[in-house]
Amino acid sequence: MTFVRVCSENEVPPGEALRTESAAGPVALFNVDGEFFAIEDTCSHGQWSLADGYLTGDKIECTLHMAKFCVRTGKACTLPATKPVKIFPVERRGEDVLVDFDGGRYAA
Amino acid sequence: MATDPWKSPADLFDEAAGIISPSIFADRDIYKLELERVFSKSWLFIAHETHIPKTGDYFATHMAEDPVVAVRQKDGSVRVFMNQCRHRGMKICRTDGGNAKAFTCTYHGWAYDIGGDLVSVPLEEKSFVGLDKSQWGARQARVESYKGLIFATWNMEAPCLSDYLGDAAFYLDAVLDRSAAGTEVIGGITKWVIPCNWKLAAEQFCSDMYHGLFSHGSIFTAASIPPSSLNTGRQFRAARGGHGTGFFVRSVPEMKITNAGERVAGYDPVADEKAAVARLGTRGGLFVQHMTIFPSFSFFAGFNSLRVWHPRGPDKVEVWAFTIVEKDASAATKEQLRISSTRTFSPAGTWEQDDGENWVEIQRVLRGHEARRTSFNIQMGMGRDYGTDPDLPGSKRQALSEDAARGFYAHWLTLMTQPDKAYAKGGNPLQAAE
Repeated sequence: MTFVRVCSENEVPPGEALRTESAAGPVALFNVDGEFFAIEDTCSHGQWSLADGYLTGDKIECTLHMAKFCVRTGKACTLPATKPVKIFPVERRGEDVLVDFDGGRYAA
Repeated sequence: MATDPWKSPADLFDEAAGIISPSIFADRDIYKLELERVFSKSWLFIAHETHIPKTGDYFATHMAEDPVVAVRQKDGSVRVFMNQCRHRGMKICRTDGGNAKAFTCTYHGWAYDIGGDLVSVPLEEKSFVGLDKSQWGARQARVESYKGLIFATWNMEAPCLSDYLGDAAFYLDAVLDRSAAGTEVIGGITKWVIPCNWKLAAEQFCSDMYHGLFSHGSIFTAASIPPSSLNTGRQFRAARGGHGTGFFVRSVPEMKITNAGERVAGYDPVADEKAAVARLGTRGGLFVQHMTIFPSFSFFAGFNSLRVWHPRGPDKVEVWAFTIVEKDASAATKEQLRISSTRTFSPAGTWEQDDGENWVEIQRVLRGHEARRTSFNIQMGMGRDYGTDPDLPGSKRQALSEDAARGFYAHWLTLMTQPDKAYAKGGNPLQAAE
């Protein structure tokens, strides 16, 4: 388990997202009202960046085909997506936000 | 000789004789040929730069009948592409404007990035073999800008936009270059349909001051425009390209107020005009300037109503009009312009209604078989020498003439009969003798 610093919390205000590259592929970090979540950035349906999408509450809507995913669980909430995306553990240290890129998994 | 029934468009306009056949305003075959030879060959107005300031901002419009989307790119450039999916042709953008990260066809989900390149095909890996997405992007038009106005063309052989505008750019500057700050759009776009041929509108803005004295006579009286100011008219016929403009040079700065019916507190028309005259000379004070950039972009300066005449068949035109103002104008000037522009050149505007009434009635008459075969006179000013004005290159000392209209139709005819020769290859010049 290796947590890596991604950004400081004020770099990603509530409702916003940040796309970051990692050995596990691109990861999207979301700020949901002050709570941070990290998921696989690439939509499981259409090969598109979810960080580019529209965040409403804890649901991210892909701009390409409007599939929605829960950023807490990575689960697909709407068609046309049928498969989930991986979620990554997130940790806060002071103002820093860290992600464990080795810890990617599908939620149960 | 203008003869109807016609065999070639050349039968329909005889410049030397000053005769035009009304079939050009009503015939379906002529219209079909215009889409191919006039609209697909010429530079067409798309939008103002300030309609789409930020990356991903888009503006859905038309190039003649073809739907297109204009989108601001990451590098600040603008792309204009067909609003048509390359799979089954559904629109890829179904709203008038906004900000987008991609354009996804609502039929099967083919998705295009903001540059119009195809980026995602649902089930591509399962159901297509060797699909080369780079070959299936939205069709791109050629795009160029002039002082805030974005134009596009399908004609890759056309001269560059500045050569296309040619000597007409000098007169376009009277509305686009009044301040070093440039212009911006105020308010939205007014869109409406007039059941008349697009050329009735475009030709009038190109050339026709004549109708103003009669059709708009009540406005001139109500707006207290002194009749003596109307003796200072000029008309400009572009050396080539079909563009034209007419105006008076003795200004009536108060006109924006008298036409609006009220003065916005703090609005100072005299000071505004002084600043423009200091920058542009005589052009800063032009009065009642009407202008058309061939084929379908027109404006009326002073009220700064800009519009494109989207053709919708031989007997219908869809007008898209909006108002621009100098970016650094005072809040009072902007508000005064907003009010006066709306009250003059909008569907319910005073000037606009006078014009539309004539055009619609002309078109109704042209439903008649005999009416279409009855030739029209377009001879005004022929054989007259009005003299020139060194301050206003290319213009004649008389606004009441149809010289610019003949220039409009001469260029139209060149395109209709020799479409490949009208715009010479690789830049200037346009065909010399029109």
